[in-house]
Amino acid sequence: MKLNQFTQSILIGTGLILAGLSPALSQDREESQGMVLLRGLPTLDTSHSIAIIELDPESERFGEILSEVEQPEMVHPLHHLYYSPNGRLYSTGLDPSCSLAEVGLSRDAGGAPVISGFDCLDTQGQMVGEDIMWANSNGQEYMFVTFLGGTGGDDGGSVGVFDAQTNEVVKVIEARKSQVGEGAPYIMYPHGISAFDDRMVVTSTVHPDLSTGVGNALTIIDLNTLEPIENITVEKEKPLNFPSSPVEVLFARPDMHPDIEPAILANTMFGFETWKVPYDASSKTFGEAEVIYSGVANETAVPLEFYGTEDELFISHALPGVVKRYDLAALPELVSSGPDIVADPGAHHMIFFTSASGRDLIAIQNNLLNLGNSADNDPTDVDFIAGLNSHTISVHDLETGERLATVNIKDRYNKGIENLEGLFGSGFVHHH
Amino acid sequence: MRWVLLILAAAGLAVAGWMNWDRTRHPVATPIADFSAPFVFGRFAVPPENPLTEEAFALGRHLFYDPILSGNNQVSCATCHVQALAFTDGRAKSPSLSGGELDFSAMSLANLLWGQERFFWDGRATSLEEQALIPIQHPDEMGQDIDALMAELEASGTYRRMFRQAYGAVTPENTAKALATFMRMLISSESKYDKYLRGEARLTAQEEHGRKLFMAHPDTKVSLRGGNCIDCHSQFLTSGFRDALDGFSNNGLDPDDTLPDGLMAVTGNPAHKGFFKVPTLRNIAVTAPYMHDGRFETLEDVMAHYNDGIVVSDTLSPLILEADNAPEAAKGTVGLRMTPEEIQAIIAFLHTLTDEAFLTNPKFSDPFEGGS
Repeated sequence: MKLNQFTQSILIGTGLILAGLSPALSQDREESQGMVLLRGLPTLDTSHSIAIIELDPESERFGEILSEVEQPEMVHPLHHLYYSPNGRLYSTGLDPSCSLAEVGLSRDAGGAPVISGFDCLDTQGQMVGEDIMWANSNGQEYMFVTFLGGTGGDDGGSVGVFDAQTNEVVKVIEARKSQVGEGAPYIMYPHGISAFDDRMVVTSTVHPDLSTGVGNALTIIDLNTLEPIENITVEKEKPLNFPSSPVEVLFARPDMHPDIEPAILANTMFGFETWKVPYDASSKTFGEAEVIYSGVANETAVPLEFYGTEDELFISHALPGVVKRYDLAALPELVSSGPDIVADPGAHHMIFFTSASGRDLIAIQNNLLNLGNSADNDPTDVDFIAGLNSHTISVHDLETGERLATVNIKDRYNKGIENLEGLFGSGFVHHH
Repeated sequence: MRWVLLILAAAGLAVAGWMNWDRTRHPVATPIADFSAPFVFGRFAVPPENPLTEEAFALGRHLFYDPILSGNNQVSCATCHVQALAFTDGRAKSPSLSGGELDFSAMSLANLLWGQERFFWDGRATSLEEQALIPIQHPDEMGQDIDALMAELEASGTYRRMFRQAYGAVTPENTAKALATFMRMLISSESKYDKYLRGEARLTAQEEHGRKLFMAHPDTKVSLRGGNCIDCHSQFLTSGFRDALDGFSNNGLDPDDTLPDGLMAVTGNPAHKGFFKVPTLRNIAVTAPYMHDGRFETLEDVMAHYNDGIVVSDTLSPLILEADNAPEAAKGTVGLRMTPEEIQAIIAFLHTLTDEAFLTNPKFSDPFEGGS
């Protein structure tokens, strides 16, 4: 009987805890919660993980991890989260065992969001997943994924075309530079991806080992045939004496804002530039590529991501760690819409949301490549450009750029931060 | 013989002791086993004073199906809320105890866990707990005196035990809590559309066409055709809108001179005259007849109303008033002016919201008919 009472006490206590606390938790505002991919740091004996984190500086739980699923079996972490148009959550991955995954989200009995796990998808050998977008080909929607390593090799790289419902590979778009012949369009180390009408663009960035090769071009893919049709070189200054390494790309288009003239915008990671390539939709031809932003002239380096709200475009520059903002309607020209948002070195992904009091906020992930620090004798450190691993998420007032709070993921959780996304779906209007 | 008597005495003491302990022990709050709800349905909150437990669900299920809740012991909640009909009754208006009919059509019950802050067609209850006792005590619905009901429940050893395990005492509040818990647990997430969202099913071309029309507000400037459904039915997978009076609308059924009060009867605000709850569309194909008064027998009738039968009144939803796929064809009527093919496509899509597993789930069935 004592055992039964003890058992009852445990049950009651557990019940009260689960039933009493969970509803309270569930009433937290999810709008301010972020999905993050965290990288375990070998010298700190931590595992990679997917987590939900509170990012409202007005919350007492700011910076707290609310749900987390670790991946101790994976050498390399998941890399970049994306929501599908139907609200399914995917992540690309750097580990060959999981280059693409679907992440499960559900809710507990108190309504709180829970990461229920993830399923690694069959990519037919395509490795090092980077970016995802959903686009139509001949009226059918597909999931397109860039694989930096493709199926391997010194000049590998592929764009995987997946059935948007079943996640099965429909086609692997590959065109090795070494095999297509001189002057023929190729795909190499693809990373950024964007599309407009029946034209898709991917970048040629850098071999996954960061040493075998570096790209300097964009590849245009005809979405009718799912074949590459053109390369466009985007290289001018070489401040690091490397090829330019175009990384993220945005096909600026009228459905983002009716005043926008279609054009590709591309950031070059090692050229420190933003390029513009005009597009004539009637003739389906691209104009001459030109530099519209010079990092050398403006003392910024490693431009990375494009994110758009309904009226502004934001571009992150890992050094010195700023996010520049532009008038969306003026695209493809970059017309400043306000002062830089000063984040931390490594400024990279960002999300937009509101605080409990209704303040418009931007949270910025400040880590590039998200590797360890050489100061820790971390074997994952690749110090090709110094000081890009702040391991922080900084939260700023969106209107003024004022920094309101910062959470240092390494200090608090002994991990790096690989990616930041909104819990409630895309915390932005435009990304690709 | 003495040993037998001693053993019997000991057994009697043990039974008496157990009964005494069982009567005085506290409720056993067991969280719902393996609870999981779809993330995409959105945030929900359960009242902290009425958490979801196995015991509360079991009690609520029994109460829901038990005619003991009515004054004449002949009407249960399930009389007007039949599982196979998504907890409606297939009637325009349910019969009243006095021989007439009630004011409104029985509402479908599904996914009530999400969001709602107002219940009934006219929003007269602000919580499921409050809602639960209203039909019981309504003279035309179940006609029960609440004190008499408590006495009947208290007289039942089964109910005494179930109440004790779930909450403690037999009280009106705990009766309401149990019914609310049962209704909160009526989760439907296995329709074809749910499976489509999870990547487990494909929509046919017609269903997909209907989905796109359902989601679109027509805009002739960019040649966008739409059924305008999502403008009001944004929470069509669940039942609710989190903001108190969101989710009530005048959808153009009646002119001003015969427009019923609707939400205005609750708020007193003339701007709410003719406003009724925008219902869930989950299982809509099995919940005919339609509208708050069941005036339309089929989904075709409903679509015909929206397509060319909107009645203009002072409080008509502006989203409905200006949604028109062919304004140049307007001849004094208000409506969507979709083609017959488009209407059929929307209806085909609505059929993908039927959740057969929900309609036949034994957990939600009558426990007095062999269910566990």
